[in-house]
This record gives sequence, structure tokens and C-alpha cells, in this order.
Amino acid sequence: MRRTWLVWLVVGLLLLTSTGLAAPQLPPKPAELTMAVVAGGETKGLKAILPIWQREKGVRVKLVEFPYPALYEKLVTAFQANAATFDLLIADDPWMPKFGSEQWLVPLDSTFGYVRDPDIFPVVYDLGSWPPPRGPVPPDERGKSRHLYAITLVGNVEFFMYRKDLVPAPASWNAVIANAKKVHNPSRPLYGYVIRGAKGNPVVSEFTPVLLSYGGRIFDDNWKVVLNSKQAVDALTFFAKELKRYSPPGVANYDAAERAREIATGRAAQGFIWPAEITDIVENPSVSKVVGKMGYTLAPRGPGGKHAPLIGNWLLAIPKGSKNQRWAYEFILWATSAKVQRPYAEGGGIPFRRSVLLNPAMNKKFPFFKAMADSLAAPPEWRPRTDQWFAVEAILGTHVNAALAGIETPQQAIARSASEIEKHMREAGYYR
Amino acid sequence: MTPYLLVAPPVLLLAALVIYPLVYNVVLSLRNYRTGEFVGLHNFARAFDDPLFFASLRATGVYVSWALATEILLGLALALLVHRTIRSGWARTLIYVLFFIPMVTPPVVAGVIARLMYSPNYGVINVALAKLGLIDTEILWLSEPGTAMFAVLSVDVWQWMPFVFLVCFAGLQSVPMDTVEAARVDGAGGWRLFRHVELPYLRSLLMLVVVFRFTDTFRVFDHVQVLTGGGPGASTEFLSLYLYRIAFKFFNLSYAAALSLFVLAVASVAFAVLGRYLGKEVGE
Repeated sequence: MRRTWLVWLVVGLLLLTSTGLAAPQLPPKPAELTMAVVAGGETKGLKAILPIWQREKGVRVKLVEFPYPALYEKLVTAFQANAATFDLLIADDPWMPKFGSEQWLVPLDSTFGYVRDPDIFPVVYDLGSWPPPRGPVPPDERGKSRHLYAITLVGNVEFFMYRKDLVPAPASWNAVIANAKKVHNPSRPLYGYVIRGAKGNPVVSEFTPVLLSYGGRIFDDNWKVVLNSKQAVDALTFFAKELKRYSPPGVANYDAAERAREIATGRAAQGFIWPAEITDIVENPSVSKVVGKMGYTLAPRGPGGKHAPLIGNWLLAIPKGSKNQRWAYEFILWATSAKVQRPYAEGGGIPFRRSVLLNPAMNKKFPFFKAMADSLAAPPEWRPRTDQWFAVEAILGTHVNAALAGIETPQQAIARSASEIEKHMREAGYYR
Repeated sequence: MTPYLLVAPPVLLLAALVIYPLVYNVVLSLRNYRTGEFVGLHNFARAFDDPLFFASLRATGVYVSWALATEILLGLALALLVHRTIRSGWARTLIYVLFFIPMVTPPVVAGVIARLMYSPNYGVINVALAKLGLIDTEILWLSEPGTAMFAVLSVDVWQWMPFVFLVCFAGLQSVPMDTVEAARVDGAGGWRLFRHVELPYLRSLLMLVVVFRFTDTFRVFDHVQVLTGGGPGASTEFLSLYLYRIAFKFFNLSYAAALSLFVLAVASVAFAVLGRYLGKEVGE
């Protein structure tokens, strides 16, 4: 009798211990997780997977949506107060320098022991790490230990589209011009190229890949402004003269909507594109005349031989003020897992995992996934990792737009941008 | 004690909503935006060395002058036309309703509609001009400096000329009919009737309209941001857009505070002049 009792005790202890070893204990389930997100197409995939999460885990995720500029302001206000307003957030990747340097986010590696997954492109981890693992590091951030604070949810990356029924895939800017010459016929009208040239962020997103592919840069590794170079002037001359020559009139005020419309109505043959514009407009049979006619490829290489697509991911992160950090982390692991990325993509989300982007069945359904995978592997270029980026973008975006509109020459635009950026960085304490 | 208690609520409200922000703004303008250290008048001195600030001041000057002149002349002319030619009550009501629509349209919506109308390829304005045989090639309304300024001005005129119309029309109703008839008997024609009989009744109202429209056009933001974003280049980057850029793109709140005080000074001088003139008019 005593022996049997002892056996049961040992078995019981073993069971308890083995359960404890198998998985770290999760704290009790919260009633819900509150997540700050941007209002718009970026959350389409997220909304599609939330019912699955709730079914599987029994925790509701409440989305609080804000327009783009308001989201940044709300997050900063909540962070400064260390308020428990949000358990999760999605952040545009240029916000990472500010969020990282202020240490407003929970480090996923040192807090939860996050293990990197080879199925995820290294650039995704680079984007979510602070201080940045490559390129210049802001002066005040040098010497800080690097942590992973965020993981991509929306794998936005810029790539190139072309009418595959009319022209071959262009690998270089020379090939783009050759294609443009071949089809350009304004009286039809069919334009060889379309530029998203509106002042500010639109024209900078469009010009930066050209600048980098020509070997130009805005900063060197010590934040010295090196924009005023022959490469940059050549890149802007090509952009504002050559590419503009084959573009519809008025592109100096074109934003993403106008560009997607020109392509979708069959009036333009080539241009850059971001994934959301494809699913929403270009490959949407209800509004597009070119469904199935578009090819997607890596951003063309310039004279320097470099392909330089621009990355613009939205990242998932946990604010330090959250009271449900462990469950928020559980959600991040779940939402970015290979298992969930597929329904996420099918629900209209922009995935970022290699296995999903290169899956043949998924490529049949989403013909741009291969180009996205190539762009993420390139690796894509990011905006310089500084919390001053918005100022740099505003300055460059004004002068590049002026060059595109013919108000400034490429030389003037580059020289003025360089001098104003340098003045701003000096005031921001980058040169001591 | 009672009088102090009675005036306390408005004084406190004023202190909280006007005086405190103003003092805070002054303090901010005297500090370095990053370190918070006292820098004296450095931020004000910097404005004099900022060509972009003067470019935006110039653009604002052009915008305010054209908008004020066009809205007042057009609004007044239309008010006179309706006052003198339309007698039917229902027709006048219909005109009031139609003229109210632009004023209740949110400026952002007005900007979006105008952006579509001014589109070079399919915008209704280019299509209409081409159908009328007035243009051979598309006008690039929003991507050339001159036409972009015209486009943003046109939205302001569309939206706020009706305000001038309604105020002037109301003013014209107050002109005594016997005075008008006496002037007519004395042989006054349309222009002389307006110049010597109607305009004196309208003058103080017109000054009020100038004050309101000057304030509004001086701080115009929404529809310009939607329509051109201040472009092409910096050709429609008015003071409000430039201040937004300094405060929310450059995050240089101290310089933005200094610029806003400079703007406040310019606006105060303008209002002082107008106020003096207006006071004289009302006194007369």
C-alpha cells in the first residue's frame, strides 16, 4: 500500500515537472489585448487572422485605428506617459530610430529569448533592431547594446512593374528606357513610364532607389552629408529628364493613387510599385484593365550595378507600458509564424516569410510575391536610421520635386538639398 | 468681491486658453529645441537668415492679396446683381442655399474634389476647355508654379466668395428704399447709385469681411495640403505649411514658436490698421 502511494507520488511529480519543462508558464489570459494600428489597407491581413487567433487562444485583440500621422502622435504620447494604453502596436519602420533610442519598446530577445528563424529574411531583423546593425549609427546611440525590438508584420518593399505583354523585364535603367522608347505613344495614349512625383515622401520614395542605384548616398558612415556628388546629379538628371520624358504630363503632382490609376487603365507601361497598390488596384479585376498583363521584378540596377529597392515595413512591437507583455509576445510569435502567414496573405496581408513568398501555389495567386522575395533578399535599402529622417525627406522631397517640375536644375536641387540637410543635421547635434 | 467673482470665469478661461499658450510659446521660442537651454533671440535672428521663410511669406502675400481681392470684388458684384435683378423670394432662397454649400464643405473635401477636377489627363476642367476649343494641350494645373497658385486660389474663392456675397447682400437689404428712389429721381445711374448710396452702407460690413477673410487666408492649410502639398517645389508652401514642416517634420518647436510669433506680429499690425480704419468708419 505504502509502495503504491510512493509510485503515484513519483509519477505525479514527474508529470508536474515535465509539464513545467515543456513550456514556460503563460500568465493568466487577459480579457483582451489592445493594439494600435494605422487605418488603411495595411491592416487587411491582420483583420483576416484575428478571428483565428481568438478561436485558438481565447483572447480578443481590439484594434484601435488611427490615420498615419495621428498614430505616431498617439504612440509617442502614450510612451512618454508610460501608459498601459496599448499592449501591441504596428509602427512604420522609419519610426524605429525614435522608438529605439528612447527605449520605449520591450526587447524581444533579452526579455523573452526570441530565437531568429532562417525562414525570415535577415533584413526584417535588421529593421527591428536598435541601434542599427549596419550603416551609420546616430551619435548618442553609439555603444548601446543592440536588441531586437520589433518584427515585421507588413512586408512592404518597393519593386518594379512592367507590362509583360508589351515589353521584357528590365534589369537595368538602360533597359527601362529601351522599353519606354518601344511603347511610348502619347497620342494613344500609352506612356513608357510613370513617376510618383508629388512633393515630400512620394517623390523621395521614387527617387531614392534611382539615387542609390547610381552609387549616390545622402550620408556617409559618420553622418557627413555626401549627397552633393556627380552620382547624385546624374541620378537626378536621369530621373527628372529622361524618365520624365516618357511619363504622363503632370507627374510632379502624382501620388500613389495617380500612378496606380495610370497603370490600371493601361495608360502607362512601367514604374515602381508597392504591394498594397497591386492587390488594391493593379491586379483588382473590378477596377483594372491590366489584370494578368503585369510582370513584377527587382528594382532596376543603375550604372553602379546595384539594385536598390526601398523597404517600408510595418513592424509589430510591445510598448514597455503594457501590462500584458507576455501575451502580446505570444501574439507576435503566432502572427508571424509560417502557419499563420498563409491565411494572412490570402486575407489581403503583405507577408514577409521566404517559404510563403516563394511558394508556387501562392505565386500563382499573387504574381508579385517572387519579386518581393528577390527585393527582400537584395537586400533592400532602408531610409537612413535617424530620427531626423522626416526632416531630411521634407528637404530632399521639396528640391527633387522642384527639379521634376522644371523649377530647379538637377545641380541646383542636389546642391540645395545637401546644404539644407547639413544645416539641419548640425542643429540636430550630429556634428560636434 | 462680487464683481471679481463674476469676471473670474471668463478671465480664467482666457488665461487657460490664450494667455498660457502664448506665454509658453514665447518661452519655447527663447530656448534650444533639443537641449532646452536659453538661447535668447537666436531663433528670431535665424528667421532673417532663412530664405525658405521669406519664400513662404512671399507666397502667402500673393495668396492673401489675390484671394481677398477676388472674393470681395466677385462677392460684391454678385450681391449687387442679385439685389438689383432678382425679386422673386423663392429664387433668392435657392441662391442662398446654393451659396451655402461651398461654405459647409470641409476644406479637405474641397481639396480632394479640386484635385480630381484639376487632374491633367481626365480632370473635368481640362476636358471642358478642350471641348470648347480653348486649349490644344493639357494644362498642368498642379505641377507648374503659376497654375498651382491659381488652382489653390480658385478653391478658396469657390468656398469663401459666397460668404462675402451673403454679407454684402444682407447689407444691401438695409439700404432704405426711399433713399434709393430719391437718388434715382435725381438721375443717379447704376454706378453712381452704388458709389454714393449703397457703398456707404456697406463700408463697415466690407471691413469686417476683410478682417475675417484676411485671418482665414493668412492661415490657410487644409485644401492646399491636399491639392499641392506646398508644391511644386515650394511655390505654394504658405506660412502655415512651412510652420507645419518646421514643427512636425523637423520637430524644431522652438524655431516654429519664433516664426509663429513673427506671424502674430505681422497679423497684429494688419489688424491694428484695419481696426483703426474700421473704428473710424463705425464712428462716422
